[in-house]
Amino acid sequence: MSAHGTGTPTPGSTVGSPPAASSLPQTGRRSASPPTPIGRPGPAAAGVEGPGRGSPGHGRPGGPGHGRPGTTVAAAALVALLLLPFLPLVLTSLSRGYFHPQILPETWSLRAWRLVLAPGAGTWVALRDSLMVAAGVTLVSLVVAVPAGRVLGTRAFRGRRVVEVVVLLPVLVPGIAVAIGLHVTFLRLGLAGTLPGVVLVHLVPATPYVVLLSAGVFANADLGLEDQARTLGANRRQVAWSVTRPLVAPGLAVAALFGFLVSWGQYATTLVVGGGRVVTLPILLFASAAGGDTAVTAATALVHALPAVGLLVVTARILGRDVPTLGGAR
Amino acid sequence: MVAAPDPRDWPAVLAAADGTTVDLHMWGGSTEINTFVDEVYGPALAELGVRLNRVPVADTADAVNTVLGELEAGRTDPGSGAIDLIWLNGENFATMRQADALLATGWAEHLPNAALVDWDDPAVAFDAGRPVAFTTSPWGSAQFQFVADTARTPAQELPRSYAELSVWIRERPGRFTYPAPPAFHGTRFLTQWFHELDGDSDAWVEEFDEDRYTEVAGELFALLEELAPALWRGGVTYPNEIADLDRLFANGEVDLTFTQLPAGIGANIDAGVLPATARPFVFDTGTIGDHHYLAIPLNAADAAAAMVFADLVLDPALQAAKLDPVNGWGDGIAISPDRLDAGQRAAIDAVTAGLGDEAVPPAELEAVRTSNPLAELTIRLEADWDRRIRQGRGG
Repeated sequence: MSAHGTGTPTPGSTVGSPPAASSLPQTGRRSASPPTPIGRPGPAAAGVEGPGRGSPGHGRPGGPGHGRPGTTVAAAALVALLLLPFLPLVLTSLSRGYFHPQILPETWSLRAWRLVLAPGAGTWVALRDSLMVAAGVTLVSLVVAVPAGRVLGTRAFRGRRVVEVVVLLPVLVPGIAVAIGLHVTFLRLGLAGTLPGVVLVHLVPATPYVVLLSAGVFANADLGLEDQARTLGANRRQVAWSVTRPLVAPGLAVAALFGFLVSWGQYATTLVVGGGRVVTLPILLFASAAGGDTAVTAATALVHALPAVGLLVVTARILGRDVPTLGGAR
Repeated sequence: MVAAPDPRDWPAVLAAADGTTVDLHMWGGSTEINTFVDEVYGPALAELGVRLNRVPVADTADAVNTVLGELEAGRTDPGSGAIDLIWLNGENFATMRQADALLATGWAEHLPNAALVDWDDPAVAFDAGRPVAFTTSPWGSAQFQFVADTARTPAQELPRSYAELSVWIRERPGRFTYPAPPAFHGTRFLTQWFHELDGDSDAWVEEFDEDRYTEVAGELFALLEELAPALWRGGVTYPNEIADLDRLFANGEVDLTFTQLPAGIGANIDAGVLPATARPFVFDTGTIGDHHYLAIPLNAADAAAAMVFADLVLDPALQAAKLDPVNGWGDGIAISPDRLDAGQRAAIDAVTAGLGDEAVPPAELEAVRTSNPLAELTIRLEADWDRRIRQGRGG
C-alpha cells in the first residue's frame, strides 16, 4: 500500500501513520491473497444455480456467528482489532494538551472538532473532492477492469502471465515517481490541478487491484451457466442481466470497493498532480500532521477514516453472508 | 497574455481584482494560523470582491516547485499559473529569485500600505542576503527563541549561549535535540551556533568568506559530532520538523524546543500544543530575526487579487490582530511603528503590553537580534550537516 502513496512519509511529516494509512493496508493485505468467488450468487441467479454451488457451509441461515460460539469470539476479536487503533485517535481528538504521561486526557475539549468541522475549515470541500475523485476512479477502473478481468480470468492464452505482471507493474512502482513523471505531461494537457487529472493519476495505482480482483471473480464464477441459459433460449441481454450480473456482481462490488479505497488513501499522487488546487482529505491530513496540533490531526484523521470504514461496513451488509466466504471457497 | 497590474493605479488593481479568487499557497501546519487567515483576511477580502482560496502545503518548497515546474513546462505567460501568492522567505525566496520566477515589476513598493513599511531597514529590504527589490511584500516578522518548561527546568539552569548549551547537553544526556536541517528551525539553530563561534554575525549578511567559513564550520561540526552521542536517541536520528520537536518536548522526552513567534507561545499553549508551564527565552549571544513575505509568481493568474491581499495584510489594525496571540498567531509586525498614527500605534502597544511571560519582552528580543545571513551560508551549513552529521562522514 505504501508503494502508492498512502503510507509514504513526505518530507517534513513524521507523524505516526494516519489512521487511513494504518487501516487501509490491513484491508489491502487481505486482498493480496488471490481473490476468490462469492459462495452464493445473488437471489436472481438462484433459479439457474448449478450443482456444486452454494455448499451448506456458505448457506447456513442467520448469517455468520450464529450458533457457533467460537466464531462469535473470533468475529468480536476481529472487530476489536479493527476498531482499537481508532481509540487513541478519538481520545486525542477530544483533548487539549494530551501529553505523556497522561493515560487519559486531563483536559477534554471539542476545540479540535469545532475547528475541523467549522463551515469554512476546508474539511467539507476536501470531503466532497475526495468523494468525487474516488467515485470517478471506481467507475473508470471498473469500465477497464470488467472486460480485462473477464479475459484474464477465463481465457487461457499465450502470454497471460506476462499481461498479469504488466497489469501489476504500477503497484510495484512508487506512486510519487509515477506522479512526477505524469505531472509535466498533465501540465501540457491542462490536466494538472484538475479533478479529472487527479482521477487519472489515481487510476494508475487503483486499476491493477480492480483488474486482478475482477479476474479472480470471473475465474471463479461458473460461467457455464451462461451457455446453459443461451441453450434455453436467452438472448445476450437476458444472459448478461439475469445470469452474468448476479454471478459476478458481489465480487465486482468488492473490487470496486478496493478501487475506491486506493483512491481514498492517495496522498503523494494527489499532491503532485493536484498541485494544491485539488485538496482531498489526505492532503489536509498531511498538512495538519506536519504541524503540531495532534488533536486537530486526530480529528481530521477520523473524518478521513470514517467514510472508508462506513463504506466497508455498508458493502459487507449489502453483500450479507457472501462476504465472510470471500477467500474461503475452493 | 495579460499585462501585470500596476499598483500605482490602485483603483484599477481593485477593479481588476473584483470578482476574482486569490490562490494563496502557504505552509498549513498550524490550525491557528490557518483559521486566522480564513476568518480574518477572508471576510475582509470578500468586502473587496476577492475570494480567498488558501491552499495548505506541507512544505513551502512544494509550492515553489510547482511554479518552477509550470515555468519549465512553458507556462510562463502571466495568467497561466495555478498559484497567485506564496508565503515564503529565506531559501525559497532565493530559489525563486534565482529562477526569475517572481513577478518583478517592483509592485511591492507601490501598494498603498507599503508606505507603512520601512523599506530602508535592511532587515526588510534583504532576505537571505539578497535584495528583495520589491519582488516580495513583507507580511510579518519573526525571531528565533528557545522554549523550556518551567515545571521541569528552573530558569537559572537554562543555558544562555551555545557555549553553555554544549555543557548543558553533556550534563543531560538524551534530553536535547534539534530538527534536522534543512528544516527551518534546525538550520536557524545551526546558523546561530556558527555565528556565536565566529563572533560576528553581521559579517555574513552580504559576503561569503570561504576561508573563514571552512575554519568556523570545521570547529562547529567537530563540536556537533562530539555532542551527538549525548543528544536524544544518541544523535542517531533527529526530528524532521519543529512540530516533531514540539511533540517530544510536550511529552517530556526533551527539555527544550524552539519558537519563531515574537509575541510568544500563548497561542500554542491555548491550542494544547505546548504545556501551560512552557516559557520562551533567548541566548545573550544573539538569535536571528527576519521577515516573511508574500510573493507573486511571474505567471500568476490573478496578480491583481494577490496584490490586494498583500496590501490588506499590512493594514495596521490587521497587523495588530495578527500580533495578538489571543487571535491564534502572535506573529511580529511588518510595518514600522514610527509610520503609524497615534491610534494605530496604541493598538499595537496594547497587544505588546498584554503579552505576559508567555513572550520574551520586545526590548530583550531587540537587544539580541541578529540579521538573517546570506542564503549561501545556510545552504553550505545544511549541506555540510547532511554530509558530516546525518551521513556521519568526517570532514
